[in-house]
Amino acid sequence: MQREVGTLPLAPALRARLVAAGFQTAQELLETGPCGLSKEIGISKEEALEVLQLVRQECQGDATRSAGGSGATRKCTALELLEEEQTQGFIITFCSALDNILGGGVQLTKITEICGAPGVGKTQLCMQLAVDVQIPECFGGVAGEAVFIDTEGSFMVDRVVDIATACVQHCQLIAEAHQEADHLKALESFSLESILSHIYYFRCRDYTELLAQVYLLPDFLAEHSKVRLVVIDGIAFPFRHDFEDLSLRTRLLNGLAQQLIITANDHRAAVVLTNQMTTRIGQNQSTLVPALGESWGHAATVRLIFHWDESQSLMASEMCSLQLSLRRQKGLK
Amino acid sequence: MATKKLRRARLSHDLCERLSRHQITTCQDFLCLSLLELMKVTGQSYYDVQKLLCKVSQACAPKMQTAYEMKLRKSVNPSSAFLSTTLHSLDKVLHGGVPCGSLTEITSPPGCGKTQFCIMMSVLATLPVSMGGLDGAVIYIDTESAFSAERLIEIAGSRFPTYFDSDEKLFCMTRSIHLYRELTCGSVLKRIMSLEEEIISKNVKLIIIDSVASVVRKEFDTKLQGNLAERSNFLARGASVLKYLAEEFSIPV
Repeated sequence: MQREVGTLPLAPALRARLVAAGFQTAQELLETGPCGLSKEIGISKEEALEVLQLVRQECQGDATRSAGGSGATRKCTALELLEEEQTQGFIITFCSALDNILGGGVQLTKITEICGAPGVGKTQLCMQLAVDVQIPECFGGVAGEAVFIDTEGSFMVDRVVDIATACVQHCQLIAEAHQEADHLKALESFSLESILSHIYYFRCRDYTELLAQVYLLPDFLAEHSKVRLVVIDGIAFPFRHDFEDLSLRTRLLNGLAQQLIITANDHRAAVVLTNQMTTRIGQNQSTLVPALGESWGHAATVRLIFHWDESQSLMASEMCSLQLSLRRQKGLK
Repeated sequence: MATKKLRRARLSHDLCERLSRHQITTCQDFLCLSLLELMKVTGQSYYDVQKLLCKVSQACAPKMQTAYEMKLRKSVNPSSAFLSTTLHSLDKVLHGGVPCGSLTEITSPPGCGKTQFCIMMSVLATLPVSMGGLDGAVIYIDTESAFSAERLIEIAGSRFPTYFDSDEKLFCMTRSIHLYRELTCGSVLKRIMSLEEEIISKNVKLIIIDSVASVVRKEFDTKLQGNLAERSNFLARGASVLKYLAEEFSIPV
């Protein structure tokens, strides 16, 4: 009730007028009433009523938040968080070494970033995940749908068909081995057509379309509540060219990261981003580092970097950011 | 899509006027601002600005399609998905040939035959569909001045002697191969940007750029500091335009 007028989400012109008229707290506004307000500031009665309704809504929201109810800010103990994290599923990648490094698979409600040189298999991994998220729960999956946002145009439907067919066959083998009723029932709905029709594909040509799509993502996810995976394939590509103003780029990327974190938490979905590698030229040598700069490195919770080792086989190393308690660095052949 | 004017995003007239006073005329400018800046510029409340943001986003967001729809669309027209190279082992490895609708890059040490391969692909593209071609024109952007018309006629004559039996057919074929000699990065980029209209007017079915690396290496010396960024800028811009052309018209590049 003692909230200052300057912090209310009103139009700036209105706010300026209220402050100039001498109003300091929301309580004063509510006491004045709509007619008094309209006379003092010189706005119409309807506008004054709208302002008061907004103020009342805001104050109610504040009250419930301070009473510890369910609002935008949630309080819970670390124990509750631990239990939540342990019960929620992972999206397996069908590569046991990779799943081991990730601690079970791609985690829901977290942002995972996959970086690597071109041709190392980032898009393939994303397509695999888009199929794996749909595995029914009785086979160990999360039974969700997938949103695939493509900025580079490297999504190949034929390859997804191959991956999906192999996945269905794999589940069929498991079902035959175990012979349980719910396995067979789940298999009926887990077919090639259903897998393909639950991958929602968006092709973004430049960063404006990408920004627009991410703004609209919460509404889309509210409509399609079963989505458990959002893949953005090639987050670096639209931001790496045509950008003279680097500070604008950093600001847009940070905004994007924040929105993705909010979306991941609200809808219990995993967000997977792929990034390109760029060369950092040092004193004597040059190293490959993930693109988009240092500040972008803080956006993802889990960062997977793929690189080829000398014997031309695939190596993956993972660096966890400071949010996780363990820091693991493993290489695998 | 990004340069779509806000007027066409169905915002109210006075709002558009007000925004244009702050030099915000396209969706791109609108979406680049933060929420507080938008509130200041539009003079509206927080929730109204969020609704505006949704409206503008809907105007430029891409359309959704499921993977299933994409697969159905592809299976409806399987033959048009590839341009066969008529080299059997190569076609087998590429699962049918050079894919339409995406970029294919051919690299090799000098002298292996890249330009010859490109010339052969140009001949193939002009053949009618019944013979495995695309029955269309070809745009050939040559940066090394390595294209030889005589070689073109030689290849056509020796590979398809029955088809190119008359001079008439040879003229037809050579008329549909449009050659552009570009010698600098800037002119290559300008040429790529202007291709959209030419593709429609001349019924182009294949774009060849021979070669990207030579013109880039000539102009950008990687030892100089600023050049690396400029070079990747140029390459990325060219790549995104070419990808757009390939996807939009479903032609191989």
